[in-house]
Amino acid sequence: MLHNRLLSKKLLLASAIAVLALAASLFSAQEQKAPQVIMGLQNPPPVRFTEDLPAGSMQAKATTACLECHEARIILQQRLSKAAWTKEVEKMVKWGAVVDPSDRDALIDYLSGNFSPDQPSYQPPRTSSERTPKKAAAKDSAAKKSE
Amino acid sequence: MNSRRSFLRQMSGAALAVGAAPTLLSWALPLPQSAAIAIPGEDGMIVRSSRFLDLETPVEYFNTWLTPVPRFFVRNHMHEPAELEAEDWRLTVGGEVEKPLTLTLSELSKLDTHSVVNTLECAGNGRALHRPQVPGIQWGKGAVSTARFSGPRLRDVLQRAGVKATGKHVMFRGLDEVPGKVPAFIRSIPIEKGLDPDTLVATHMNGALLTKHHGFPARALVPGWIGAASCKWLTEIKVLESEFVGNFMSPGYRFPNQPVKPGDAVKPEDTHPLTALGVKSVISGPLDGSSLKAGRIAVHGSAWAGEADIMKVEVSTDDGATWNPASLGHEQAHYAWRLWNYEWKARGGDYTILSRATDSQGRVQPAAPVWNPSGYLYNAVDQVKVHVA
Repeated sequence: MLHNRLLSKKLLLASAIAVLALAASLFSAQEQKAPQVIMGLQNPPPVRFTEDLPAGSMQAKATTACLECHEARIILQQRLSKAAWTKEVEKMVKWGAVVDPSDRDALIDYLSGNFSPDQPSYQPPRTSSERTPKKAAAKDSAAKKSE
Repeated sequence: MNSRRSFLRQMSGAALAVGAAPTLLSWALPLPQSAAIAIPGEDGMIVRSSRFLDLETPVEYFNTWLTPVPRFFVRNHMHEPAELEAEDWRLTVGGEVEKPLTLTLSELSKLDTHSVVNTLECAGNGRALHRPQVPGIQWGKGAVSTARFSGPRLRDVLQRAGVKATGKHVMFRGLDEVPGKVPAFIRSIPIEKGLDPDTLVATHMNGALLTKHHGFPARALVPGWIGAASCKWLTEIKVLESEFVGNFMSPGYRFPNQPVKPGDAVKPEDTHPLTALGVKSVISGPLDGSSLKAGRIAVHGSAWAGEADIMKVEVSTDDGATWNPASLGHEQAHYAWRLWNYEWKARGGDYTILSRATDSQGRVQPAAPVWNPSGYLYNAVDQVKVHVA
């Protein structure tokens, strides 16, 4: 079933565009809601549920090949040599990533150029905290009573 | 409970005495709330990946013996099952058994329940600290958490089906949704571990039903072993004559038989499957990069050793020239970590604080990491750098 979907590039492209459009509208809605000043810090950077791959001539093709199955952060956090990136690309092609053989070398160059061992490490975001000060105080006092 | 309270009070009291608490709080939330990702049921977790979901527990949460579920690390190899209704779920038991069977959740829940407090650690925890870097989720120190898991013993489930003499391994298949041509997440454990009275088909975690991220409605719980052994969304148990052959048994989750030079390749035949965890301690406070006031500073953390017991944790504040015993928390269970605490009388200066655990098998945390091509089982002596003024 999935195999058929991978074969149908047109359908894939159409659905990717639809997903991107939906995602873009969701993100912009989220960003509009964010207050400008939080905890004394101005304009905290918006954090998105998923991230984009970096700009470059291979960005679109890498997005199609890699982000069908997983989000960009899995790539953004790697710091690998060209040899290691080559192995990863070969493994992922074996596992179903759609990479035109004529794009293979450019894709490896794109990944190893952007995500090499000398790059600073990726700083991951966090999930929001459910323990607001008010909730935490209520929980703590409930815990004290039960002890 | 008293002992736990006094232990925690001792820890928090020491931190407050030197004014470290505000520092800890500000470090605990490097991003303002609005800049965080909202994932229901997940509290302040480090997002290694949102799709598929991989969440790391920040070390400052290593301050309770049992990790609350919203702070328990999440490791998914693939996508979680999109639809999973408890009424429709079935567990099949087959392979080298006398009577293959299929259990519903209510049939499973009629079996005797057993509880095990287990420290679950991903084999790749600490991968980001290996040099040279290796591919995989770049876990820092927090792909590890502790919970009380409950459910029937796997042994009882297997005995209902009747394991044949030819049955030597137990295979688990989960309901993970497999993208593309990725191999399914299937692994096996030797029958001896499968029949161990502490190996469970867990349905509960800290007294509540498993949440979806942790494998609802049932998961394997293979205590003391790498997290990957404890298959989530369990749907099939199959008794095999030999180890399961598949990507997540080989080349995945294998360790070199002999030490290798960092960066060297290793042939598959020179490796063995990962099983039990190593000995390890982690410093949960002060946090790396903290600025602290001179005086009494509580150095604290947790330590675990898979199937072995923690015998001692030592702390050094002079680059390993001298080591001081930490006091171990009173809460303990065979497969669970111990919290530990050391009161350091600190003068001004820049320090690297080290922690080192020793277990009941005589294993000691190594000074340097044991590099391997997939970055498994990182357990070097932990360290944090602090400034004391």
